[in-house]
Amino acid sequence: MGGDCGNIYELRPVSIIRTLPQIKDHRLFQLKLEDGSTWESFGHQPGQFIEVSIFGKGEAPISISSPPTRPDTLEICVRRAGKVTDALFEMSKGSTFHIRGPYGRGFPVEHLKGHKLLFVAGGLGLAPLRSLLLYALDKRKEFDDIILMYGTNNPENVLFKYELLSFFDRNDINYHYSVDRDDEGIWKQYVGVVTGLFDNAVLFPKETHAVLCGPPIMYRFVLQKLLNLGFPKEHIFMSLERMMKCGVGKCGHCAFGDKYCCIDGPVFPYTEIEKIKEAI
Amino acid sequence: MKTLAKKDLVKAINIWADKFEVLSPTKTTNGDCIFDTFQENKFTTDYKKPPLSPKASFFPQTEVIFKVEKNEYREVVAAKKMLLFGIRSCDMMGLLQAASFMSRDKKDVYYNAKRDMAATVVMACPGPQNETCFCTTTLSGPVAKKGFDLQLYDMDNVYLVEVGTPRGEKLLSGIPLADMDDGLAKRQIEEFKQKAVRNIPEVKAVIEAMNKLKDHKADEKVWDSFGQKCITCGGCAFVCPTCTCFNVYDHQSSPGNGLRARTWDACLYGGFTREASGHNPRSSQALRLKRRHEHKLLDFNGIDIQGGLCGCVGCGRCSDYCPVHIGTLEVVKAIAE
Repeated sequence: MGGDCGNIYELRPVSIIRTLPQIKDHRLFQLKLEDGSTWESFGHQPGQFIEVSIFGKGEAPISISSPPTRPDTLEICVRRAGKVTDALFEMSKGSTFHIRGPYGRGFPVEHLKGHKLLFVAGGLGLAPLRSLLLYALDKRKEFDDIILMYGTNNPENVLFKYELLSFFDRNDINYHYSVDRDDEGIWKQYVGVVTGLFDNAVLFPKETHAVLCGPPIMYRFVLQKLLNLGFPKEHIFMSLERMMKCGVGKCGHCAFGDKYCCIDGPVFPYTEIEKIKEAI
Repeated sequence: MKTLAKKDLVKAINIWADKFEVLSPTKTTNGDCIFDTFQENKFTTDYKKPPLSPKASFFPQTEVIFKVEKNEYREVVAAKKMLLFGIRSCDMMGLLQAASFMSRDKKDVYYNAKRDMAATVVMACPGPQNETCFCTTTLSGPVAKKGFDLQLYDMDNVYLVEVGTPRGEKLLSGIPLADMDDGLAKRQIEEFKQKAVRNIPEVKAVIEAMNKLKDHKADEKVWDSFGQKCITCGGCAFVCPTCTCFNVYDHQSSPGNGLRARTWDACLYGGFTREASGHNPRSSQALRLKRRHEHKLLDFNGIDIQGGLCGCVGCGRCSDYCPVHIGTLEVVKAIAE
């Protein structure tokens, strides 16, 4: 039994190629499959997630930060927050552990092609959005304008710093960065909440699809902003966070309303969840 | 229709017990009746609602899913041929709904391996087992409409035997049976059903509460007041035939060795929805109680409720066992008021 008839909890061994420190308690892990195949065999889509499984510690849902267009590595950006991630942070190049996945509904990539894309990310919310952002940049010709709005609480907490800086040299992406506070006066971009970035951005709401990920408070204000600007509801997609323990719609931890975040999401069209009070 | 003489019942169960582990109503020393491995001297047909549904036969309270040795894991899928004898229609409906949930989208192999190997013999319910029964309201009783392999109706000297599946037909081989005229049997079953239905009170508040919740007209204060009372024991979820939430945890005996297990969990617990960031989308007991009852009464996973009214099967156990009186009956009545 088990493997032969498709156990949904079956694991795949992976090893760490490299760990890249990001900010305090956040690290990017580059992974490869232990069986030697590329991540193409994994078949992940931007916006999906995996379960990281470390024996003796447990499992934790982590979003995939790299796009399927880069099949040599799978990248996960992890915040140290509990038993599993503590154990992960003890690991280094060559360490092995297991994963399950890819899980969930990602971004509707085909549907987004040909449109202008607005990314709005807050804090670690950039991690899942990055898979779509890099996907769109890798297939740049298949998308119209790309606009990125990224906000963190202070300059020390900017994730993917070098990647964000590298966009300064590109003319095919519009970027707007913000920090809530800049006590030391080192921030050369916008200081204020992420919604403030909308004031200086030129947007074409009817032609643009917005993808959001960030803390709950951000959704509330950004959604209001988008709707006020005239973004059609159908153009808004959000990646939600939940405690997705099993990843396969069974354990019940991530359920709200009639949805299970791990299989119905984590990416939801706004129209699907606008009436569910608890969603955001 | 076939009949089984009452005096031959134990003989029949013994025949089944050769091929299956038979779980049947069993008297305990303190006077309870539980579903346990068939033992002739403790077996009874004179039983009321067992405290627990047969849920644990398919979804044990704790179940090892992996054994880990030297960092290699092995799946542990335990299942055996099992026959549930004497479950009531409410529990049959609970089983149908839970099985449907566990096999939607992707199949849960641990649950389904056990379910696939289990036969069910339902004992049609003669009437309310106690004052909390409301299966006629939830459309899950007093007799099972589907899912069973066999269903027995308790008549004076015989059991009328209704066959539900080919597996049920097979169960009858070797069992001493007699024939009854089909028309007569049908009339007797109808009488049996009518008598039971008359005695099981309809709880209109269930429908009223469902409508109010659907229309967002339920008074939110209901949840606040129940939230104040709830002691977060999770007992309602554990006795519920359709609650299947679980937690997964690892036990390490030494580095690289141990096991991974899953264990019953309840949406009433504070940490159930807490995220890595510390944010908790259901941050109060009021919200958690609201979730539990809305899930049962409205959003039962958006899955097939198997012809029932909702995700509650009307067994009344949550009302029987909640130490502070927050069972489904109390909740729907408070909402409907």
